[in-house]
Amino acid sequence: MKIHSLIIGVLTAGCLVWPRPASAQVSLDDFNALKHVVEQLTNKVEKLEQIHDQDQKTHEADQKKNESLQQQLGETRTAVTNVTQKTEEVARVQSSYPVVSAAANALHNFTMVGDAEVQFGKTAGQHSAFVLADFAPIFLFRASDNVLFEAGFDITLQNNTDQNGNRAAGSSTSVSLSFAQLDYLFNDYVTIVAGDMVLPLGTYSERAAGWLNKIPDDPMARDFLPGSGVGVQLRGAVPVGQSGQITYSVYGVNGPSSIDGSGTSTSLDLGSNVGDTPNWHANPSGGGRIGWFYPWKPHYDLELGISGQTGEWSDSGNRRWSAAVLDAALHISPYFEVKGEYINSWVQTDDMGTIRPQGWWVQAGYKLAGLDLGIPHISNVELVGRYDMINDALGTKTCRTTAGFVYYFSNTLLLEGDYEFLHGKDAHDAFVFQLSYGF
Amino acid sequence: MAAVICAASIAFVTGADTKPADAKADPKARDAQPAKKAEKKKLTGAELYTINCNRCHAERYPTEFTSAQWKTLMTHMRVRASLPTAQAKLILKYLQEDSGN
Repeated sequence: MKIHSLIIGVLTAGCLVWPRPASAQVSLDDFNALKHVVEQLTNKVEKLEQIHDQDQKTHEADQKKNESLQQQLGETRTAVTNVTQKTEEVARVQSSYPVVSAAANALHNFTMVGDAEVQFGKTAGQHSAFVLADFAPIFLFRASDNVLFEAGFDITLQNNTDQNGNRAAGSSTSVSLSFAQLDYLFNDYVTIVAGDMVLPLGTYSERAAGWLNKIPDDPMARDFLPGSGVGVQLRGAVPVGQSGQITYSVYGVNGPSSIDGSGTSTSLDLGSNVGDTPNWHANPSGGGRIGWFYPWKPHYDLELGISGQTGEWSDSGNRRWSAAVLDAALHISPYFEVKGEYINSWVQTDDMGTIRPQGWWVQAGYKLAGLDLGIPHISNVELVGRYDMINDALGTKTCRTTAGFVYYFSNTLLLEGDYEFLHGKDAHDAFVFQLSYGF
Repeated sequence: MAAVICAASIAFVTGADTKPADAKADPKARDAQPAKKAEKKKLTGAELYTINCNRCHAERYPTEFTSAQWKTLMTHMRVRASLPTAQAKLILKYLQEDSGN
């Protein structure tokens, strides 16, 4: 349509523009020239028609392509819709049953630490022997950033005895639960602890393990305190400066009980009443500790603490047991430390009124690496000494002086050797060697 | 004698006045001094580890446990040793940075 209009236009323009002679006659030259022009225009029109045909074909091909693409787009949209539906279905399933990836499975946050010991010793008047094989694992399971369950066991091998404590054939393995507690880190300053807890009476119990103690056996005065208790505790720390701290703990536990239910002076049982059926009495004990830790530079620090516990212990609930502990520790340089505790307890009894079992201990250690002697193996040795004393308020006073060494094969494998001088009723000197490994 | 006292007084006053005058003249310098002091005092995780952990047990090397294990162990020690949270986090960061695989 456009081409025909163009031809007519061109011809019309040619008629109008072409110069006409004054007369009506057209010369042969003019005619030929006009004919030539018409032929050129005709050729152009033909070429334009050809181009137009090609354009039309191209347009049709494009339309077909467009239709094909639209069809593919529709299919893609359908596929996307299906995937979205499937994803939503998966999300619904996962919200009901969370899928745990292989990188964070149930045991991902499980860790085991602990220690193991072998002991060889001799007490005056007895045969020397390997007296202890002990394995004390601690299982730690961190459920989240602020929830931790931890349990410690003490597995030991011992000779069999009969009901009266006399020798019997064979040996047996004893398994005891040292602690089993759930810790909930409530905020930066408060942690809630529940379960069978190591009690913060002094610091010895919470920092006791074969590879931590520099002397194999416990200070005698620790016998006047329970090692653990079943209950609930709040504990935490408030920072003082960059590295100092005030620590605290407050707890309620079932407390001690009586061996036979009575309130006589020999019936106190500090390790019982764990809450299993039956509960021996309905009078829980309360206690706590507050401590101050002041480091003035690395390896130089002072720690002081005071702690206590009180509660009824006899079945009748009218006899009270109480204890107070003062603890202190001092480090001067990486090589020297001294620490100790003073323990005083009050026990109301049926037969002796209120008695006061008490005792104290002080222990010092010096690592010979501080002398910088340059002699092989000498730098691995730490000399240790301890003095401890008890008065059970039932007529027995015992003093013990211990001198010994620790040889460090590595940071966690060590050999301890000690000689103990005892003074008191039925007290005998003894020596003991212990190989300890912490893991 | 009076001349000596007078000279000493002048020296004292002049000396005492020198630093505040500088500080007044240059507020940036005045602010920079406490900042430097604070920077110098800031303890690292390694130092806090030495302060808090070595007082109870021999040093455990960071490579002895994996990063995830250190996190669990530090949670345990934060409770057992009543470590302040901020100090425990710095210690954990130090241990995890050099932890085993």
